Amino acid sequence: MPVRFKCWFVCLVCLGAGNAGIASAQALHLGNTGEPQTLDPHRYNLRLEETILTDLFLGLTTFNARGEIVPGAALSWSTSEDGLLWTFKLRQGLKWSDGKPLTADDFVYSFRRLLDPATAASLAYFLYPIRNAEAVNAGRLPLDQLGVKAQGLATLLLELEAPYPHLAERLLYPTGYPVPRHVIAAVGDDWVKPEHWVSNGAYVLADWRPQAQVELVANPHFFTAPLIKQVFYHPLANEQNAYNRYRTGEMHAISTFPAGELESVRDHLAAHLRLSPLLSIVYLVFNTTQPPFDDARTRKALALAVDAEVLTDKVQRAGNYASKSFVPALVANYDSAPLQHYVVENKLNKVALTQERQQQARALLAAAGYDAGNPLRLTLRYVSGADAKRSNLAIAAFWKRIGVETQLHHSELKVHFSDLRQGDFQVAQAGWFGENNAEHYLGLLVSDTGDVNYGRYRNDEFDELMAHARTHGDVTQRNHVLRQAEELVMATYPVVPLYSVGIRRLVSPAISGWHENARDIHPARFLSWQ
Amino acid sequence: MARYLTTRIFFTLFTFWVIVTLVFFLMRLAPGGPFDGDRRLPPDVEANLLAAYNLDKPIVEQYVDYLVMISHGDLGPSFKQKDFSVNELVRAGLPVSLTVGGLALIIALSSGIALGVRAGLDTGSRIDTVVMGSANLGLAVPSIVLAPVLLLLFGVWLGWLPAGGVGSPAHYVLPSIALALPFTAAIARLTRGSVAETRLEPHVMTAIAKGLPRSRIVLRHILPIALLPVLTYLGPAAAALLTGSVVIEQVFDLPGIGRYFVQAALNRDYTLVMGVVVVYAAFILLFNLFVDLSYKRLDPRIELR
Repeated sequence: MPVRFKCWFVCLVCLGAGNAGIASAQALHLGNTGEPQTLDPHRYNLRLEETILTDLFLGLTTFNARGEIVPGAALSWSTSEDGLLWTFKLRQGLKWSDGKPLTADDFVYSFRRLLDPATAASLAYFLYPIRNAEAVNAGRLPLDQLGVKAQGLATLLLELEAPYPHLAERLLYPTGYPVPRHVIAAVGDDWVKPEHWVSNGAYVLADWRPQAQVELVANPHFFTAPLIKQVFYHPLANEQNAYNRYRTGEMHAISTFPAGELESVRDHLAAHLRLSPLLSIVYLVFNTTQPPFDDARTRKALALAVDAEVLTDKVQRAGNYASKSFVPALVANYDSAPLQHYVVENKLNKVALTQERQQQARALLAAAGYDAGNPLRLTLRYVSGADAKRSNLAIAAFWKRIGVETQLHHSELKVHFSDLRQGDFQVAQAGWFGENNAEHYLGLLVSDTGDVNYGRYRNDEFDELMAHARTHGDVTQRNHVLRQAEELVMATYPVVPLYSVGIRRLVSPAISGWHENARDIHPARFLSWQ
Repeated sequence: MARYLTTRIFFTLFTFWVIVTLVFFLMRLAPGGPFDGDRRLPPDVEANLLAAYNLDKPIVEQYVDYLVMISHGDLGPSFKQKDFSVNELVRAGLPVSLTVGGLALIIALSSGIALGVRAGLDTGSRIDTVVMGSANLGLAVPSIVLAPVLLLLFGVWLGWLPAGGVGSPAHYVLPSIALALPFTAAIARLTRGSVAETRLEPHVMTAIAKGLPRSRIVLRHILPIALLPVLTYLGPAAAALLTGSVVIEQVFDLPGIGRYFVQAALNRDYTLVMGVVVVYAAFILLFNLFVDLSYKRLDPRIELR
């Protein structure tokens, strides 16, 4: 019997050796960071869904291979002088993947569907710049009151509530994608199933096996045929698994790998390694409704003691980029305002500078009523994880140097952000990802922003400046006021910017057309085999 | 027998109801809800979402609705996997979990019993020492340690087998073996002890004295009795194989329901968590019922009351 078992085992192993797959040369296998929760562009919520949806649909505007904004379904657009009316001219001969013509009416239908309360779109607010969008989404106005109109088959008019120069960027996201009205009318919510699938992007959905893979094939009716005809997205939530499956050749590109492997990858897979900063900011937020964090002196003292560069370069070593400002330095056409202490003191050498800052921090704490006999004690909250623990231990160590006693409290993602929204914290780590404009980030500190202004920060002067900025339709003027607002608000230290996330990708050298960009977006239609 | 069966089925259903109720309320007690992402949700949008999933109703009403729904075999819509119903997800994931679990059970039973019999017939021999030594080792090393080691060795370094995912029979080899090993060890130990004991029973002695061939003695006179403890172990083992596959599916990127379970719990996808629990509970309870009923077949002396 044992002998028989051994034979059987050997057979199984042989069977495996035959099949263990290097993926076929034709299809592209990409590792995604997890399983999409939906492929309905109006119900999406995650970056990993955006990745796939960008291949399946085409908005009025879109990304090129470098992540820049270029014409999509609209070939050109213009803005009225007051910035309130946008006119989009659609491409000639646009078609759905089933061959039916795609017209401006399809966009009107789609924008209304996004803002229909019945759709329950969690990112509906992306299109709130459109006139009456908020009221329609709240059910206070009927759908036809939305400021979107078709003029003939190929012209789309968008009326806005207030000037919004970043509209071309807002329309990039899946919330601005058209969905096939004729299919939805026929099969309802089942339109997202592969057997009913119709879209207007370079690819269509061929198959979706939950937790296993999403298969896309080229859309025959797209205006330029993609070079790679078949693309698989695999949900690789675990970084180690992604790394393993890349090394066995099963994946042609993966979206991340364990930070601890970075040195080894640099040595052995240098030609595969793609590092790039992502438009994002990870920061510490103070609960400004609670003493002693309602006192700007305490906040400044804690900010002075944190050395973001030591954190990213010595502690994390994961390829993240230390940040001196709250608005990421990557944001285009905008000169971020660094924290005060980075501006004033940069003449001293590093060691002297650190000591100088610590002294200043101790003095500020003393002024706020804390000293060796009565040390400041606080709880720092963060999202569970081994890497996160190391970072936050380092922050606690920074604070220990100025006599602050830190207790660390970690919880899983949902609990962490649920508590932050309810203001149940003293100091916590938070992050913000996404758009290429300053107000996307500064807006977090406006007092009427709601519960994602986690620290419930309120500064009337700042609020006024932000409101004033939003009256300008011109980006340069708008950014000028935003820059003033950022400078003003950062002098009171409501947050401590730490770093912009570094993306660590592995991409097979056999793929060409891959360009790193600040949004980390790589539409498959621009890729090809070398 | 009929009365026994009725009582057992009643208690099985009762246990099932207790499990469903407990998990339903425990899930709601966990802090954070399904829509507490890190992106901003304006109050109107959040209200739309809650209404769409009936989460704005009182919890008792939600609970009653849920019981009515599952009594019709409908596990509801998934809160997070918006394009699939829980039934569709279970239909997609269950075959994967059952294949891994079933293969592991076959491996564990066949090799465990074979090794156990060999060792039990020759207690104290060198083979016995080796088998029991490895069995102890197998019991001591949990799957969560063993699985990544197997994966690195056969998947990444030797490149004999895929390092994860599904698609070919080869994808199932490493997960099944990793899942089976601790159970193989346990079954080998149980069988060995039981065989060593049964071997000294008078009826076996008689068979030996009659000069029956060794294979016939083992298969006809020793095994049926020696396997009773293994059968008892099968109930909890099947449960452990199912739950053990939660770990294995994570390590090997297998799209089974164990993987949904972990992600659904983290996402607060109430209906998907409940759906997986309902399926797990149904399997475990049915398997236990089946094991209890099959005692009678192996040993006619057992009376079912």
